[in-house]
Amino acid sequence: MKRFFLIFSAVLIALFTIEMLNPVQAHVVVPFTSVLAKISAALVSPFDPNVIAMGKVLQFRDTGFAVSIESGCNGVEATIVLIAAVVAFPADWKSRAIAIGVGFLAVQALNIVRIISLFYLGDWNKDVFTWVHLYLWPALIMLDVLIVFILYLRHLARREEAAAAHAAG
Amino acid sequence: MQQDNALRQFLLFAFVLIPPCFALWTLAAQMLALPVVGLADLILKNWFPQMVDGLVFHGKGGTVLLTQFGELNGVAVPPSQSEYQLAFSINPNILSYSFPFYAALHFATQKKEYLGGFLVGVLVLYPLFLLGVVSICLKELMVNLGQVFMQQSDVFVPNGTFIALLYQLSVLIVPTIAPIALWLWQNRQTTLLRGVFGWVENVGKAAGAGSDSA
Repeated sequence: MKRFFLIFSAVLIALFTIEMLNPVQAHVVVPFTSVLAKISAALVSPFDPNVIAMGKVLQFRDTGFAVSIESGCNGVEATIVLIAAVVAFPADWKSRAIAIGVGFLAVQALNIVRIISLFYLGDWNKDVFTWVHLYLWPALIMLDVLIVFILYLRHLARREEAAAAHAAG
Repeated sequence: MQQDNALRQFLLFAFVLIPPCFALWTLAAQMLALPVVGLADLILKNWFPQMVDGLVFHGKGGTVLLTQFGELNGVAVPPSQSEYQLAFSINPNILSYSFPFYAALHFATQKKEYLGGFLVGVLVLYPLFLLGVVSICLKELMVNLGQVFMQQSDVFVPNGTFIALLYQLSVLIVPTIAPIALWLWQNRQTTLLRGVFGWVENVGKAAGAGSDSA
């Protein structure tokens, strides 16, 4: 457990530092954030043609209300936490890669729900938007990471049990 | 099977408890921040006596970092040259939501004893909350006062990159990771987590035995 926390902290700080570098922001994080904005707009526009995406900004055509998806709102930090946790836990690299891939999709799926919900909340009430944006959604996204990680650990434990039973039998 | 039930129960209770925990925290946020704002005020005034006049509550739920400067044409100047005291708005709530998050995780987990562990958890989170408030203040001073703050003589000022990284970690990572790490540690012997962590400890022991014999 101590080894896990040490490796987790080291990988977390290393990846977080890399993420903050200007070239990484310019060539990876910002383009990725723009893709998230476009996906969000594409999901909403069949139901609400007033929504458009420009770069990392989502906007209502009629009211002009817009949200810009910034660092901390693109799920990158949550993904980094998941990667650090998966890498820190002893397992084969194939399992780790699958866990990171599936976890990334789970985090981003919920993150798109977050972006869309915040977009509509912001158009409705600024105070509710601020509260949900700053406090509630970060906790929910990290709870999502925790659930993915626990399910991954249970999968590994079950596979280990099955292998032990097979070897004993 | 027992673990399946424990996980289902944990998830259900966690989602049920998050709204009331966050609602209670919203009501008590300023009271919760009181000791941290007081301590951060002491630390910053003693650390940067030439820069910081105080960290105080201001208005409805707000906190401001008062500086020893005024402002004239966008430049920090001594108060005698300005009509205003330069102050920066600080929001401690972007850190303290770790308390309701931790409370929801803690009380959603099935175990024998709740209150003692919760109080220990709160005591662990408080120093991180304090560190977070100090890091936000350092970032505000660095960004808004610039070289006036960074090039003080006879005062240790951390490197700009260090302040930026500490701020980002304190605001984006610690408020959500600290409650989860604490929860994992405190509940490693519960039905929910015993299986997974018991397994990794066995793997660790087996690896140790393997390396011994090699």
